[in-house]
Amino acid sequence: MNKEVTVGIADMKLLRQEGTLITYALGSCIGISFYDPMIKLTALLHIMLPISPEKEISQVFKFADTGIQETLRRMSVFGGIKSRYICKIAGGARMFEVLGNSSLANIGERNIESVKNILLKEQIQLTQQDVGSNYARTMRVSAQTGTVTIHTYGRPDVVL
Amino acid sequence: MEIKTYDDVGATALDVIREVGSIGTGNAATAVSELLSANVRINLPDVRIEGFNEAIALLGNPEEPVAAILVQMSGDMNGIMLFLLKIDFINAVLHTMLGKTVSDYSELDELEVSALTEVGNIVISSYVNALSGLAGMEIDLSVPAISINMLGGILSVPMIELGYETDKIMIISGKFILNKHQLDSSLLMLPDIPSLNKLITKLVAGHE
Repeated sequence: MNKEVTVGIADMKLLRQEGTLITYALGSCIGISFYDPMIKLTALLHIMLPISPEKEISQVFKFADTGIQETLRRMSVFGGIKSRYICKIAGGARMFEVLGNSSLANIGERNIESVKNILLKEQIQLTQQDVGSNYARTMRVSAQTGTVTIHTYGRPDVVL
Repeated sequence: MEIKTYDDVGATALDVIREVGSIGTGNAATAVSELLSANVRINLPDVRIEGFNEAIALLGNPEEPVAAILVQMSGDMNGIMLFLLKIDFINAVLHTMLGKTVSDYSELDELEVSALTEVGNIVISSYVNALSGLAGMEIDLSVPAISINMLGGILSVPMIELGYETDKIMIISGKFILNKHQLDSSLLMLPDIPSLNKLITKLVAGHE
């Protein structure tokens, strides 16, 4: 069986043992995959923004901080052990070359920085990444091996 | 009525936004007609309030390439204008302006990309000029930027920009019709919520 489960924007899905998690066309957003090789548990999270605001939020997976926390909590419920996780990230592009120092120009970079800081705080090792630049990325994660494949427009696929 | 989320936008307000949108897109169509010396119309704009994932599905496949011209609005109206063009519209423009066509986005050279950027800029500024005239709002526009890439990645830009205040976006979109052929292109206006309030106050208050 090779089922593909789609992870939307501001969304997270878990898979065990088999199948593929996929999130399409990450622009300035970031896709974060966690894989526990011992029990073959895989999560793929698609965040949009670096940090949650100090108010009630309706979508935890929209923000890097609350999204990562909630993903880790759910993985631990399924028996995941944080120290074993293999983590890979993709995205954080600057889709438009806009002038000046606007939030629109820098959001990809800020997302990358925030995700890295949060992973560091959680003591999760970031093993591989394909981030930045100016193009969108589709990210596929195999639940069996934790292998990540990055598909882009007009470039060869990259395997992480 | 002060709106807090896009879901609060009432039916009357949506109708007025659609009406104003059609004047804006009419203006944009005239600008493109002159540029291409052809009969260009835009169908009655569609106004939708959708979640992020639904908005992408509405406009196409997230992985399909498009050319997008982005202009930021500031002043009395904050938000983003996006003009999305697919290959048939691009070829209609290139054929008229430069006498050639391409079969894939990757074939576009620098001159062609800047011609498309300029067309996008004309479309967007004629739309916004109509709107600002009607609503009596001063709207400043940024220098246009272009991206040729996956639709999903491009749409994430306005979604992120508005992401701290909303889980949904309002899309005002119209499709161009050139010599009776519908071309795959959309003009999107994505105002933030305070701007939408201003617009509704200025335009709708008298109608309710």
